[in-house]
This record gives sequence, C-alpha cells and structure tokens, in this order.
Amino acid sequence: MTNEKKNLIGHLAAWINWKRFLFSVVLIFFLTSIIFPFYWMVSSSFKTRAEIGGREPVYVPGGLKLDAYRELFDPNHPSYQNFGRNILNTLKVSIPTAIIAVVLAVLGSYAIARFHFKGKNFLLNSILMVYLFPGVLLIIPLFAMLSQIGEKLGFPIQDNLAVLVFTYLAQTLPVALYMLTNYFRTIPDEIEQAALIDGCSRLGVIWRVTLPLSIPALISVSIYTFMIAWNEFLYALIFLNDRFMFTMPIKINTIFNDPTPRPNVVMAASTIMTVPIIILFLALEKYLAEGLTAGGVKG
Amino acid sequence: MSVSGVKKRSSRRAQEARLAWILISPTALIVFALVIFPAIFSIWVSFHDVGLHNLNDVFHTPFVGFENYKKVIDDYAFKFQGWNNWGAAVTTVVYSFASTTMAILIGLIASLVLNRPFKGRGVFRAIFLFPYVAPIVSIAFVWRWILDPRPSGVVNDILLNLSLIDSPKAYLATRGLSLIIVILLDAWRYFPFCMLMILARLQAIDATLYEAAKVDGANAIQQFFNITLPELRYVLGATFLLRLMWTFNKFDDIFLYTGGGFGTKVLPVLTYEFSFRLYDFGRGAATAMILLLILVMFMLVYVKIVMQKVED
Repeated sequence: MTNEKKNLIGHLAAWINWKRFLFSVVLIFFLTSIIFPFYWMVSSSFKTRAEIGGREPVYVPGGLKLDAYRELFDPNHPSYQNFGRNILNTLKVSIPTAIIAVVLAVLGSYAIARFHFKGKNFLLNSILMVYLFPGVLLIIPLFAMLSQIGEKLGFPIQDNLAVLVFTYLAQTLPVALYMLTNYFRTIPDEIEQAALIDGCSRLGVIWRVTLPLSIPALISVSIYTFMIAWNEFLYALIFLNDRFMFTMPIKINTIFNDPTPRPNVVMAASTIMTVPIIILFLALEKYLAEGLTAGGVKG
Repeated sequence: MSVSGVKKRSSRRAQEARLAWILISPTALIVFALVIFPAIFSIWVSFHDVGLHNLNDVFHTPFVGFENYKKVIDDYAFKFQGWNNWGAAVTTVVYSFASTTMAILIGLIASLVLNRPFKGRGVFRAIFLFPYVAPIVSIAFVWRWILDPRPSGVVNDILLNLSLIDSPKAYLATRGLSLIIVILLDAWRYFPFCMLMILARLQAIDATLYEAAKVDGANAIQQFFNITLPELRYVLGATFLLRLMWTFNKFDDIFLYTGGGFGTKVLPVLTYEFSFRLYDFGRGAATAMILLLILVMFMLVYVKIVMQKVED
C-alpha cells in the first residue's frame, strides 16, 4: 500500500513541472466554476423544504426527494404550479419558430447565395442591422403596431402564442439567413449546374441536391432558432399575462418572485428547462460549436 | 455567340432574379414588417406622447418635439449624480466595457488552455460552453441562490468559514458590489463565445512561426507576446466589438440578477421601466434611441481608431 502510494507520488513528481502545474490549476479552476452552478441547480431541485431553509447550506441532499417536482406537476399538491402546461406552451412557441424560420431561411438564403439580383446587398445589410438593434428598442413600436393591427382584425395580442411566434421569427430569421447563406456558398455551384442541365427545376435542385448536402447546417440552424425561442424572456414577459399561457422562463420568474421563496421549486423548474438544452447541445456539439462563432445565438 | 443565345441568357437571368425575389420575399417581408419598420417607427414614437390610453390610436398622438428626450436626460435614474449614484448612462458604459473586457480576457486564457493537445480536450471544450448555452433564466436564478444573502448562501458559507468576511453579504443588493458581481457573472456567462472565436484563430496560426521562434531561443512568454498576440489582434478586435454591441443592448441578465436595483440600472432596463411600468412609451423610445446613439458613436470611434490600427 505505502509502496504503491510512493509510486503514485513519484510518478506525479516526475510528470509535474511548473508549466503542467499551472495548466492543471487553471483547468481545475475553470471546471469547478462551470460545473458547480449546474451541480447546485440539479442537487437543489432534489432538496426538501427543510434542507433548503436550514442555517447552513446542504451540499449533498439527503436523498432524491421529489418534493419540488411534486409541486410543479402533482395536481394534489397544495401549491400546484401546473408546470406541464408551461412546458407545452414553450414547445408550442419554439417548435413552430424553428420550423418556419428554417423553411423561410432556406428559400431566402438560397436566393442570396446563388442569384444576382438588384437590391441584394441592401436587403442583406438591412437584415443584418437587426444585430445592432436592442430588443427593448423594437418591443415598444412592435407592441404599439401589433395592438393596432390586433384591434383592426379583432385578435388579441396579449396571451396569444401565435403573435409571440411572429416576433420570434423576426429575431431568428436574420441569424438563420446569415448562417445558411454562408453554408450554401460553400457548396460548389457545378453540382447544381449539372442537375439543372439534367432537366431539374430550380426548386427540384434545392430539394434534391442542395438540401441533402446541407443537413449539418440545417440541423444547427434549427437547433439555434429552437433555443432562441425556448430561452426568450423579454418578449414573453411583455406579451404574456395569463399564467396558463406563460412559457417556462416567465413561469420560473413568477415562482421566484413568489412571496414565500421556494428555491428548490425554482431550481427544479430551471433543471427541467436546462437539461434538454444541454443534452441537445452535447448530442449535436459537432455541428453546433461552429455555428456559435457564426453568431448562432445573439447575445 | 448568336443573338438568340444572348437573348436566352438574359431572359434566364431575369427569370432567376424573379425567382430570387419570390424565394426571399417571405423573409424580407417579416424582417421589414417586424424589425426595420418598427425600428424607424420607434424614432417617430420617441417624438410623440404615447401612453397606454392612446396606444390604440397611436398615429394621432400629439407631437411633443424633444420633450421625451429632455425628460429622460433630466431623470434622476439616467443622469450622473456623483460617485455613489452613477445613473443609467454611465452605468451602461462601465458595465458593457468591463464585462466585455473580462469575458475576452477569460476567453483568451480558456482558449490558450484548450489549444494545448491533451486527453479529453473535446469534452472539456463542450463543458466550457455550458454557461453560454444554458438558458439565462436558469443561470440567473442559480447564481442568485448561490449568492443568497442569508448565512446559508453558498458563497456566504464558504467565505464565513474561511473567515474572509465576518458577516454575511447581500452580493446582489449592495450598491457598488452588485455592479461588480453582475460584471463578473456576465464574464462567466459570455467568455465561451470569446473562447470559441479566439480558439478558431489560434488553430489557424502557422506552426512554423513557433518553431522558428524556438530555434531563435524565445521562451513561451516571448512567443506569446511576439507571435500569438499579434496573430490574434484582428479576432480580438472583432470579438470585442460584437460582444460590446450585444452587452450594450442586454436586458435579461441585469433584469434577472438585480431587477436594475442597487446601482445596476442600465439603459435597456430603464427603457423597459419607462415603457412597461410607467406606460410612457414615448419616453421609453427616447431612452432606447439615446442608447442606440451612444452605441453607434462608440462603434464609429472604435472602427475608425482601433480597427484601423489593427489593420496596420
């Protein structure tokens, strides 16, 4: 035993030099500061009220207690939150946003990447201007405009998930357009020309040649648009008033601001909101990391 | 080429241009209706008295000239009033510059660490991206819970046990300290973006440069300052600009961390408060326009001075 230990320390001593030491310290510092908040979120979600409200923090929960999750999902719980409804609302907003944004962006960016037409640069520049505008700047005129239109056409703009999808499209389309245009430009034109000469129509070429070659880009763009809608806070905060229509971020904010603080419930809801995103990201990291530098997530 | 060939070609061109417009029109329509038009419309709103009562008839609201702008500039929440009350304008500038600089510095360190070949580098890179990928709402509430002002808060517990503080601190509810904490939290959240940008550039640096430097007897520090940093100039400049722009416009982070209290009120939060707490949309729009003006001014100066220097 002592012999083995000596060996280990001996090995370590032989391996270490100041460069490696510094490197390991920095790496460990980064890892703990990143992992700890996530550990704290997940572990706190399994704590009981007593563990949460104690004099000292409980670093490791006594067991996987589902109290917090019961409050979110169990209708028999005294302060039942009906969080399932909020998950559903978020999905109802983020899935259509992702699908519509990708379909429209495919058409638009194909046109930008392949065709020459008048006003192309103006169009492209004005679309990219979105990056410059603060979301809070746009929300005021949007709110005024949409209430006017809603009044005329007779649909409510508050608590209307379709209106929210529309505003998310405005936020996600420019990003999607930008990323897909860049990708389409990397596909050699010759392949498409060959298909055109074989008698394919333009739309046929997009469907049969360009799209199959663009699967990685399509995956990353749809995940990004999905994530933007899934995480969006400001517009949802302003357009949603009814707690049955709340998306997850707004609901979590509401639970947090409840007069009786229940951090374990907030953490449980946060865990539910975060875990799918992290899993999605890890599963598709290969495609996604590149998109981040291309401005996939504005913010 | 025959005449008919030219004709055929030009008609194909026209046909393609028509198709291009058909393909792009849905996107263009949505972007113009929901981004470009509102952006211009908000200039209009900032010169009118628009409130909740006349929102349904917004085009007939009274013109008030620069009244909204005057109100904003005279507002105690906007104006600089001495060192213990910075006002939103100064706070925004300090917050954006500090957190952007910090994020870039941390991103640079992280990218240098990840640029070394070692086992499991891919996994580490993925983990390093977590803060940036996770939803801001969850991130904000976890940190608020970690920084809980009660002695049972994690940070308080650790610092009390280490005897670094003698009484628990309210990190996100103390003037001065809150702004520092928010800046640190933002650097923590946004360094992965800088890291990715820098890492991509690092991996493109020609390895022979380092080999030549080694032959000349340059040590690691000399190599860093004479090769790595000059090679990174452009990407550092561009990343700084991008992050500064986004941080300037950022609403979610500060709103969720402090609600804009305790000396952390930035212009986007002030815009929100004028518009959706006081329902004075004209004043809100004026605040947003001032924000945009400051931002554009900085960008022009930056592009003119810094980026030009970088290119030389």
